[in-house]
Amino acid sequence: MVFVALLHDANGQLQRLLAALSHLARAFRDWYQRPSTSQLRGLKLLREWLSQEQLAQYDAHKYFDVIGCHSSKRYRIHHGNGANVIELDDAALPRTGWCFVPTDHLVAGDVMLAQKIALETDERGVLAAANNFTPR
Amino acid sequence: MATQIIMDHNGDTRHNFDAKDAKALSEAERRFKALTGAGFIAASRTASGEPVVKRTFDPTAEETLFFPRLVGG
Repeated sequence: MVFVALLHDANGQLQRLLAALSHLARAFRDWYQRPSTSQLRGLKLLREWLSQEQLAQYDAHKYFDVIGCHSSKRYRIHHGNGANVIELDDAALPRTGWCFVPTDHLVAGDVMLAQKIALETDERGVLAAANNFTPR
Repeated sequence: MATQIIMDHNGDTRHNFDAKDAKALSEAERRFKALTGAGFIAASRTASGEPVVKRTFDPTAEETLFFPRLVGG
């Protein structure tokens, strides 16, 4: 009887310890993955420049669509720093991936904003400089 | 108050200036020429929010954004 009671007590303590460690692990993960001030500033700037429709799309899906100024093709810019632009076909399915990035290292928000402006103002020019890939 | 926003590794750096102040306007034009000369692209927004690339300094632009040119990644 005493042994069973001790075992039950130890089991309870072990469960409390595991719960505490799990809580600590989650807190560490959240701290480690927190966006930096630079990243937050980049995202704030992006949000200021997106149209209302693009902003709603980005908030819902972490991507937004832009229309190329020359071809009127639709491109989907996914959250990211590179290989994140997908040209869509008429059925909104991925057709071609495009990779073009600023010459300087920038945070994701800035990269996405530069890509948006480039496609909306100089589609041919930026695609001439870009590399393409087959989207997954 | 007008603003020039320059994308950089910190997110961006902003320069606010009074467009009615001749000295401040001259400094803003000097910054515009220096940045575009270094390969940055300058853009502002129309009243409806559409981006427009600026090849020359626009003293009436309330906000001008500068970002590095884009290359194949």
